[in-house]
Amino acid sequence: MMPEQEIATREKQEVQGAEKTRAGRYFVPAVDIRENENELKLWADMPGVAEKDVEVSLNDGMLTIIGKVSPAVYDKLSPLYTEYNVGNYFRQFELNEDVDETRIKARMRNGVLEVELPKRERARPRRIEVTTA
Amino acid sequence: MALIRWEQFDPVGSMLALQEELGRALRNPAFNLGLSAYGAYPPINLFDDGEGLVVMAELPGVEPASVNLVVQRNTLTLTGSRPRDEAKEPGAFHRREREFGEYSRSIQLPEGLDLEKTSARFEAGVLTVKIPKSPEAKPRQIAVESA
Repeated sequence: MMPEQEIATREKQEVQGAEKTRAGRYFVPAVDIRENENELKLWADMPGVAEKDVEVSLNDGMLTIIGKVSPAVYDKLSPLYTEYNVGNYFRQFELNEDVDETRIKARMRNGVLEVELPKRERARPRRIEVTTA
Repeated sequence: MALIRWEQFDPVGSMLALQEELGRALRNPAFNLGLSAYGAYPPINLFDDGEGLVVMAELPGVEPASVNLVVQRNTLTLTGSRPRDEAKEPGAFHRREREFGEYSRSIQLPEGLDLEKTSARFEAGVLTVKIPKSPEAKPRQIAVESA
């Protein structure tokens, strides 16, 4: 077995491009995407986001992920020293694969979003019975 | 009175951005904060909540029970590992941005904390450690008697 690698921190990147109508900071979550013949699976690191504050949607082949952090956590805290920024998460992917929207599943566990995107079953060849008159 | 909405004002965002700038200046080795090198994992934020010190660390994908937290002689040490969660299933990766592996982090705590009363919580991938000030370090109101 390979020795476990040590983790290094990467600074959070703020979302570039089209501005959101709602102000507040949005960061790009780190994502893994894996594909096999049956499905696409996506994981996104979104620490600080509770299950109820995640939004996953698929619109015209565009997968959108939004995670909101609760500002209430920081209500009575004054920072002494900070190494990471706190903000919401936003990321979009255009899906090339034909995904069955009705079977998408998403769950949140320990600050990681996991999305299962099953591929649509191919239309099966149908045999047409030929009957004699 | 004008109502300031959170989304417009975003005090945490601007506050942390300012702190980030400050932090950059303080990362200069001329300042000794007793903190590990920048870029160490997990990233840590320190706060004062009025009652004492609050240490927060982002550890997404880590099982709460696997976090090893030790406080000893004014040093708080945080160790553990984040195992890959998707290794067993077949398939090809299109993206692989998340980090896995072992982590270890120590920070020096300031004086005047009641380490016995340290409490920790892990929620949604964020570890929060609270260490209250020791009674001696809290401001005490002294009643002034008239003669």
